[in-house]
Amino acid sequence: MTTEVLGVSLQYSHSIGRGEFAGPGFRNPVALARGAEGLMYVLNRAYEYRPDGKRVTICTVDEEYIGEFARGVNTAGITDIVTEDGSLIWPTSVALDKEGNVYVADEWLNRISIFSKDGEWIGKWGTEGSGDGEISKPSGMVFDADDNLIMVDSQNNRIQKFTKDGKFISVFGSQGSGDGEFNLPWGIDLDKEGNIYVADWRNDRIQKFTKDGKFLVAFGTSGSEPGELNRPTGVAVDRTGMIYVADWGNERMQMYDPAGKFVTLTTGDGTMSKWGKDKLDGNAEMWELREIAQGLEREKDFWGPVAVTVDDEDRVFVVESCRNRIQVYRRQEPMFQGGGRL
Amino acid sequence: MASADIELMAHLMRRAGFGATYEELEQFAANGYDATVDELLSPMEQPDLEVDLLERYFIDWKEMNALEVNQAYLTYRMINTKRPLQEKMTLFWHGIFCVGNSKCEHGAQIQTQLNMFREKGMGSFPELLLALSVDPAMVFYLDNCMSHKDAINENFGRELLELFAMGVGMDGEANYSEEDVKECARAFTGWTIANAIPRYPYGRFPSMFAFNAADHDYGEKTFQGETGNFNGDDIIEIIVKQPSAARFIARHLYNFFVADEPQIPAWQGTPPRDIDAIKEMEDAYFESGYNLTAMLRVMFKSDWFKAARFEKVKSPAETVAGTMRLVQDFTSPKPGLHPIAMEIRYMGQDLMNPPTVEGWHTGQEWIDSGTLVERINFTADQMGNTDLPGVQAIIARLSSENISDPATLVGRCLDMLGCYSLPDETRAYLVEHIGKSGDLNPGTEVYGAQVAQTLQLIVATQEYQFA
Repeated sequence: MTTEVLGVSLQYSHSIGRGEFAGPGFRNPVALARGAEGLMYVLNRAYEYRPDGKRVTICTVDEEYIGEFARGVNTAGITDIVTEDGSLIWPTSVALDKEGNVYVADEWLNRISIFSKDGEWIGKWGTEGSGDGEISKPSGMVFDADDNLIMVDSQNNRIQKFTKDGKFISVFGSQGSGDGEFNLPWGIDLDKEGNIYVADWRNDRIQKFTKDGKFLVAFGTSGSEPGELNRPTGVAVDRTGMIYVADWGNERMQMYDPAGKFVTLTTGDGTMSKWGKDKLDGNAEMWELREIAQGLEREKDFWGPVAVTVDDEDRVFVVESCRNRIQVYRRQEPMFQGGGRL
Repeated sequence: MASADIELMAHLMRRAGFGATYEELEQFAANGYDATVDELLSPMEQPDLEVDLLERYFIDWKEMNALEVNQAYLTYRMINTKRPLQEKMTLFWHGIFCVGNSKCEHGAQIQTQLNMFREKGMGSFPELLLALSVDPAMVFYLDNCMSHKDAINENFGRELLELFAMGVGMDGEANYSEEDVKECARAFTGWTIANAIPRYPYGRFPSMFAFNAADHDYGEKTFQGETGNFNGDDIIEIIVKQPSAARFIARHLYNFFVADEPQIPAWQGTPPRDIDAIKEMEDAYFESGYNLTAMLRVMFKSDWFKAARFEKVKSPAETVAGTMRLVQDFTSPKPGLHPIAMEIRYMGQDLMNPPTVEGWHTGQEWIDSGTLVERINFTADQMGNTDLPGVQAIIARLSSENISDPATLVGRCLDMLGCYSLPDETRAYLVEHIGKSGDLNPGTEVYGAQVAQTLQLIVATQEYQFA
């Protein structure tokens, strides 16, 4: 269901994914980074009982499977959890630097793991703590125009900027609910001017800052009415400054204008993905079960829309942690009858 | 030595909850026994767990995809709930109204059922039975979706009478006839579930109850001596009026909360261990209009409850959750919960996957040579871990009390774990053993190890297996 309030709207494109612990598909995906030439890096958190599902899946927007890398740590023993380089326990986010290297944050290990664009482990950094440059439960990450990494340091309720090899540059924010304060923030993105947008998760709002961390504006209040938020997890800003928010607790994605005014929302339009069709073709009885299933329209709905990303082509990607799926939308400008753009 | 008030409070919290630390027991004792019972009976006045936070870190708990994920969540709840009696009653109903993951369309559906028990498990018995009858996990588990007006399936109808609300018999008499079973099953025809969406490619969807009027037998039925065109809800109304329904709940509550008794298949011929206690709860049932909290209040405030110390073998869930509460681990989300939850399975209670519709065999049947070893190994491992906050708190407290003789140390460690008592011979052995470990010098690292070792020895005793 897509509600159009102003001229700009969202056009559903297609769905990507299916539930898998390995290979083509995802398992509790929590983040997505867009690479060059249609590449996507999808971070799968999976769960403790099945650490094999924790990984980064490389695929394309057209649902071509490329490969996967990084593996979950087996925490099935009560003690002696072994964390080898490149392994994951509670991965939260993924970001790409200008060279296309892949940075993965782990909020249990307080570790940033670095991989080449093909998934080869090339480094790590991160020290637990609350001092400058120390981190506690890193969540969202994004690279700025200078190729520095801006990170949501969630448990410390602040935003830190690092060089890509982990040298501390700057910090802003503290615990609270006032302007510039945070309560367990999660997702982050930048607009083309470098302004910083943070999903201030437990304050049910989005905050916008200058690139230097000066507070500009906050929008969103607790609730489930259009424009209101319930534990927003992800935020993304497109080339025109439109803002997309993964409204996790309300199971929807909302769109706001550059001033933070509500524009439209969607609760999902999911359809059969290419990988999904392949799976059903291999389990033909499932096609038959779908024929008689009741309430199949529920398959459209978001479940656990945890992250949102936009690319340079105005495509919007919504990651659903519980449906193991990514729904792709496209921002649509209003058209005049003559065919001109607004 | 702990005061009598604290000993009584330890007893109450073990039964009405999953135990408590000594500091918590002191606080409850200061509030008074009756006030504490009233608080336990009003769970909604206490805060729930912060579900948003749990689903952020245990991101799979929003989906509840696998049995093991559900078990980890339930374990976390038992360890951390501020509404212990609500969680205990959830476990109580789960052991009676059994559904199992081995025959389940969708694992999360059992969690949905447990949430229903949390909401209704301390309220009106007819409302609970009605909710159970439309619960998708139950409709599927007992094949009511396969019961048609032209071809009834008796499974649900039979178990509703035999295992969920009346029992086979009481005082030597049968509670219902085979004809009642058939009529009951006829009344529940058409109570079904919608066809499920297949699990591939995007996972399961919540099951939906559906009433299929075209498949319901609207004909006349005679049930428990009453005749009419009964539907399922009419049957429930008739059931809850019966003395057998009151007896059924009272005996289950007694067996679960007061003292181990023979289990339900024996109830027709085996009188209750304490018929006066049962009758007090039966009276509360009828006087309150079938209210479960009214029965619980009578029970917890009675002398027979207060006197029934260590009359029950702890279930595996009580053993694990109770021990974790004492050592104060997993009080916030962190990795490593799955193996803790699995301990309950290894001790013989695969939560949300009971062996049969009769549930688990309780009491002494929890214990065999294998499960006893599991219990002792697990509890001793936890108590011996001086990194855990609860163990550290006990060490700090006994250090501050400057306890330096072995006999007093053993006594205070028994108190700290919930005012346990040991036979003289066992106690003397522990005192002797600790005495041989060297001088007790409070505040030293060695002292911490000596305290932890004492705790380990206590949890390895037969007495710690009782609640």
